[in-house]
Amino acid sequence: MFVMEKLAYFDTSHEMPLEIIMAAGLTPYKILGDVHQSNDPADKYLSSFFCPAARSWLTEALAHSQEWAGIVFAQGCNASNRHYDIWKVHVQTPFLHWFGAPLLESEAAKKYYRVELQRFISHLENHFGIKITPEKIKEAIGKSNAVKQKLQQLSALRAHKDIPNRDYLAAVIQCLNSPVEDVLVWLEAELARWQAKPDFPSGRKRFLLTGSDVTYVEWMDVLDDCGIRVVRDDLSIGERFFATLIPDRSDPLDAVRDYYMNIPKPATRPTIQKRLDYLYKALAETKVDGILSQNLKFCEPYAYDSVPVNKALKEKGYNVIHLERDFSPAADQQLANRLAAFVEMLEVSHHD
Amino acid sequence: MTKTNDAAENTGKIKLRTLPHAKDLKWPMLWWIGMEKLYRTLPWKKTAWTCAAFPIEMMWIYDIFPDHPENMATVAAARKQSQRLIEHAEGMGFSRDVCSYCKTNIGAYETRIKKTLGGISKPDIVVCTNAICDTHWKWFQLMAHRMNVPFFMFDIPKWVSGTDEKTLESNIDYVVDQFFDLIVFIEKHTGKKLNEKRLYKVLDRSMELSNLWREIFEYRKAVPSPYSGAETSAAFFPLVVLPGVQVGINFFRKILADIKNLTAKGEGTMPPGKEKFRVMWEGIPFWYRMRFMYDLAQYGIVIAFEPYTYSFAPEKKKCATMEETLRHVAKLIMDTPYAYNLERRIESFEKWIDEYKIDGVILHENMSCRPSCAGMVDLAEAIMRDKGIPVLILQCDMNDPRAYSEAQIKTRIEGFVELMEANKK
Repeated sequence: MFVMEKLAYFDTSHEMPLEIIMAAGLTPYKILGDVHQSNDPADKYLSSFFCPAARSWLTEALAHSQEWAGIVFAQGCNASNRHYDIWKVHVQTPFLHWFGAPLLESEAAKKYYRVELQRFISHLENHFGIKITPEKIKEAIGKSNAVKQKLQQLSALRAHKDIPNRDYLAAVIQCLNSPVEDVLVWLEAELARWQAKPDFPSGRKRFLLTGSDVTYVEWMDVLDDCGIRVVRDDLSIGERFFATLIPDRSDPLDAVRDYYMNIPKPATRPTIQKRLDYLYKALAETKVDGILSQNLKFCEPYAYDSVPVNKALKEKGYNVIHLERDFSPAADQQLANRLAAFVEMLEVSHHD
Repeated sequence: MTKTNDAAENTGKIKLRTLPHAKDLKWPMLWWIGMEKLYRTLPWKKTAWTCAAFPIEMMWIYDIFPDHPENMATVAAARKQSQRLIEHAEGMGFSRDVCSYCKTNIGAYETRIKKTLGGISKPDIVVCTNAICDTHWKWFQLMAHRMNVPFFMFDIPKWVSGTDEKTLESNIDYVVDQFFDLIVFIEKHTGKKLNEKRLYKVLDRSMELSNLWREIFEYRKAVPSPYSGAETSAAFFPLVVLPGVQVGINFFRKILADIKNLTAKGEGTMPPGKEKFRVMWEGIPFWYRMRFMYDLAQYGIVIAFEPYTYSFAPEKKKCATMEETLRHVAKLIMDTPYAYNLERRIESFEKWIDEYKIDGVILHENMSCRPSCAGMVDLAEAIMRDKGIPVLILQCDMNDPRAYSEAQIKTRIEGFVELMEANKK
């Protein structure tokens, strides 16, 4: 059986133009690290006050880069952008590329985005001896949109069916890291499975989850244990990945550019208001009991945003809890107690 | 960049000699403070918040007073105010892990602290760039949002290790395009048009200011060192907010004359025979603890070179055409030594180590500046391997005194001194 090679990518949100990788005949593989592994290998090169998730990605790369056709960095969080230089020295890979995704949406940024797309395509073509045609990109866009549409359907079931938090995160990760043809078949079956689930359990509270990306299912279990069901989110391994579809343009590179420049904003992109706009839209579409804003230790972009974003949400009358979490699969009981108390408070105010 | 009266605290110890005109730093500072008052009084003049690596000249060209939150944060630290301001910001919900400059600024703005203690007023516009770090735009956006003030951000592409010339050119194209966006933004909010004659006049002055600083650095190569990091950390103030105006030039001319005089006599900033170790300091100083630089002198250490203040002196020259000038400036903004990629950093550090006859390097692993700390381990290993001198990675914080541990730092410095001593034998 022919197995497509994986092209691994370092992406602190959803900036990597996956359709270009797919059009190159490669499987995009988002490096997510392994929360169960010690970060000691990465800590030889990075201080412990750097994002533990990014350090975990380096640990994974140091151990597994030989299994990948190459590695691409997408410009994202500034504290980890410069990790590219460290990876260039210490991670063995036959192909390393920096994709300079602009932060702005101006005409200048649009022009620059096209230049960066073309540079990425040329590098792939030259290295792998392939031709990435507009037709191949259009085909990849079609498949990508099909995945996003299916994920939208899955996601919508969260507010109505008994879907454990871990199942949702696992589904998105599955879509990010598997060959798209397999994903489409798998999603079809998963959708049927989710539709057959019992209705939303009465003892649970519906929450919107915002803040740093969650990359491991154990943390989602903690939420379930506290009576929280995440029915909406604005995470990159979440709704940001599938909330919008790649538009139809005669030039597929324009379509890719317009899509990535207009997805719901992460904290690594301006502006605060644009982040809020997506949150307001999600909250208008889905009634929630509370909002959980969480920050991974040392994750600066979300730490900055959390204050004005949470203030704005509270001013709109939402119940918001903010907390900081470690990068660990172990349940943090102090954190769980706070969440459980918050849920209890919501129940009391509901009965009042 | 205000300096406390540290020298006085060194009674009975090795005293660093300050240059005769060092005290004249008060003139550019007073001029700047006076200008702010004037600009805030006259309705046709505007004020802005700007940040490091932003082309400050654009502000002076358009008659906009460039206030500088980072600069004011250092003032707050030097005046021993930063901790309470940081704690105020943390009380508002900001994490212990985010930039201490940012939190000092938030605390200063919210508590309306006096200007002389590091206070800062609401500007007409907020302009910034991410050339140094994304914290700049996150912080400035946040405050622009808070103050309800128009915000402009200059998005500077990353010059990562191995960037080729073709990529560099397209990166420059992007920055040049944004210059025109900036001009549109400024003209919208000032009602003024770009005066090319004034642009070149400001650039000429900016160039002269940078050239003077670079010439001062040429003299810093002398042994003994005539001018240490203890003094430059305060004296580089004109490069932060005054590129393009005359007052900083006048000050630097006097400093340069002092240094020329000192080196002609073969004298240095340390007492005769006391300069034992010439050290390079990488990173932002501990603004709340400027005495640290004077404490180093007790071990015979002189900070002979620091990339940080050198970074503020790019040679922004005018070229044959406006387009060429903008391309030149755009490249300089991307090429700030403080933000060099790892490959360029190693290459430059090793060159400076030779030029300044450096015996050891202290790398400030600044918890408030993660981007600058990425690659520090590799930088240290490269220097030790290629140059055979000790490197000390010192974890601390530029503006948050809570990160400073006197005893721990003393122990680390003493160990570093022992290594330099052993290395010299």
